[in-house]
Amino acid sequence: MSTILTVPKLAMSMSEGTIAEWVVADGADVTEGQIIYLLESDKSTTEIEAPASGKLIHKAEAGSTLDCGTEIGEII
Amino acid sequence: MAQGNLGIEPNVLKAIYVQMSRIRAVDKAIQAGLSAGKFMFTYWPMTGQECIPATIAQLTTERDYMVTTYRGIHDQVAKGVDLFGMFAEALGRQDGVNKGKGGSPHISDPSSGSMVTTAIVGAGAPIANGLAISAKERGEDRVTIVNFGDGATSIGAVHEAMNLAGAWKLPVIFLCQNNQWGEYTPIPDYTAGPNFFGRAEALGFRGVQLDGNDPAAFYAGMQDVIDHVRAGKGPVFVEALTYRMGPHAGVGDNYNADKDVLAAAKERAPLEKTRALLAEAGICSEEELEGIDAAAKTEVEDAIARAMASPVTPAEETLTDVFADVTCVPQRGQYPERADEGEPTGEAKTMSMVESIRDAQQIAMSKNGEVFILGEDVGDPHGGVFGTNKGLQTEFGKNRVRPTPIAEQAIIGAAIGSSIAGMSPIAEIMFTDFFGVCMDQVFNHAAKQRYMSGSATHAPMTIRVQAGGGMGGFGAQHSQSMESWLLHSPGIKVVYPSTPADAKGLLTSCINDPDPCVMFESMMLLFTQKGEVPLGEYAIPLGVAKVRREGTDITIVTYGWQVYQCLAAAEELAKEGISAEVIDLRSLVPIDYHRVLTSVRKTGRALVVHAAVEFCGFGAEIASTINEELWRDLKAPAMRFGAAYAPIAYSNAIEMSQVPNSGSIIARIHEAMKA
Ligand SMILES: Cc1ncc(C[n+]2csc(CCOP(=O)(O)OP(=O)(O)O)c2C)c(N)n1
Repeated sequence: MSTILTVPKLAMSMSEGTIAEWVVADGADVTEGQIIYLLESDKSTTEIEAPASGKLIHKAEAGSTLDCGTEIGEII
Repeated sequence: MAQGNLGIEPNVLKAIYVQMSRIRAVDKAIQAGLSAGKFMFTYWPMTGQECIPATIAQLTTERDYMVTTYRGIHDQVAKGVDLFGMFAEALGRQDGVNKGKGGSPHISDPSSGSMVTTAIVGAGAPIANGLAISAKERGEDRVTIVNFGDGATSIGAVHEAMNLAGAWKLPVIFLCQNNQWGEYTPIPDYTAGPNFFGRAEALGFRGVQLDGNDPAAFYAGMQDVIDHVRAGKGPVFVEALTYRMGPHAGVGDNYNADKDVLAAAKERAPLEKTRALLAEAGICSEEELEGIDAAAKTEVEDAIARAMASPVTPAEETLTDVFADVTCVPQRGQYPERADEGEPTGEAKTMSMVESIRDAQQIAMSKNGEVFILGEDVGDPHGGVFGTNKGLQTEFGKNRVRPTPIAEQAIIGAAIGSSIAGMSPIAEIMFTDFFGVCMDQVFNHAAKQRYMSGSATHAPMTIRVQAGGGMGGFGAQHSQSMESWLLHSPGIKVVYPSTPADAKGLLTSCINDPDPCVMFESMMLLFTQKGEVPLGEYAIPLGVAKVRREGTDITIVTYGWQVYQCLAAAEELAKEGISAEVIDLRSLVPIDYHRVLTSVRKTGRALVVHAAVEFCGFGAEIASTINEELWRDLKAPAMRFGAAYAPIAYSNAIEMSQVPNSGSIIARIHEAMKA
């Protein structure tokens, strides 16, 4: 089963987020709990952990600002 | 460390850890799910506060009542709310404990004793008192624990509730989870008196401060507190010291906190410390602890997976759970015809409205031992400022007619809580103008409890309120007609009688109704109106209007004391050959559009008259419905007439002219007849 990654809504006031950096490269294997990317919102940066183990697929570029809920990747 | 030095039974400490581990698994799963974008909902993390409910769970059962807040997911987990139902609720799904209608900040699960969860800071405290009243009156040994944060100690509702609980020695525990933060503001910035537990002493009852991060000390302290409360020795305020590791809302760390302070707090965090203690004292092996954590993780994963498979609660559910009976919900195009009360047959007696209200209460209280009255000055010899309860305290005793502190939030909260527990309280608010100081309890809690809980709980209470206006001499703060505030708050029924018989019949229905009801008692009518009132139990169904005068040229729709202004106007108009039909709504929600529309279909003209301000008033609502439904049949557009847009003036000349009177009603009707 694959896990879809979307821009999370981390706080009540958050409506969009910026992928500051992909810490894990496209196509690399990740384990659950590993930090996979940095999300910037409201001037603070949050380390986002992999919700599952598997192969990480990027579906959005680092630097892009997207609405909460937008699909940005997948773990297969 | 040897087991003997722990200060707590090893198996109890282990049981506390099991609950902490479950709470942590829930917290982690929510944070992970939100971070990954797996789901979205507003989350107020309780990371670091696990020890408090995990410990309390060892000292209470599902028979004990709990009230908590938006942040209280840890409280829900430890109280025993089913995790599948809890997650489904947080995700707005059909299988949620509250059908997905309340969400995580409004969980209500009577099967586990989690009665009310509020997102209004401090508002749970007055309601907890009501739950405690029910336990005390029924001779049950339940305790009620109301959880709130340190920030909530600043709000009036908590103060009012503490004072009432002290005065009435209620079996309630005010549990302040002092996590050092009120949203984004730390304690020293919001009070010069951070000795929270000392406030209880000032109100005449016990207050204690406990380390909410130390399971052994907290267990011992809470055992003593709970024993004290169960033994009927009155309320206790507990300040449980802890620390909020996370942000106010969202995920991650408390970014408002100073880095060093947060690091020090992490050192004292209860879960990690308790886990280490269990290992060190040889109570649990590492494998055993891993087993506990793994079981918690599995339980949570399973609950989330099932919750995510549950369907989102559909839009078809919009109007269910507003009231017990969906036909009471005002809906465009749905105008049910309800049977009226019929002609009274038995014996009757001439009474004033004051006497008929007293009579209705006396009968309800005789019939049902769980009907009780509370409010300011309601006791004998006065029986309320207007005497509507005279003699009832003498007859039924001080527990069933309860004079209260001057604290409207405490009064309404006590009524809400006791009604949620199944009692039938009648709360008296002296003047409608005082709704302003208890409106949160009325419209956020009494009105919404059924909806937010998906009918798991509801507040079948009655509020009686006196309304000034029209008499002169009371001024801007004792003369208003505030019914529109309530009509605009879904979930409350409102009645406004104009005769003694109607007051008795409607009040009887309100007391027996499954939903919260408010009855307005106009000062213009309480003593001046006398009429035949049926003796014995007498009920008038809610939502049935009455034609007070028949006519053919225009329908005047009105209620309360304006009925008499309209009847006087109709009398005058008859002399000019204008035949006016006067309809007394009696019940504003549910409204009887059936009888209103039937009348206007006949007359072709309509004017709605009320003492309340015309702008944004009920008249606009009714006139609009008449116009939309009957425009083809109308000879003139339906119109409205209410008070001028101004506070009620002290000047008699202004007051008499700013509110509709027979003269100004006639003038308005002339306009309608010209159109
Ligand atoms: C009456 C009211 N005012 C303001 C808010 C906004 N608000 C939500 S939580 C919160 C902080 C409450 O702090 P505290 O009582 O210490 O509880 P904690 O969140 O720390 O558990 C505030 C101000 C609210 N929900 N209700």
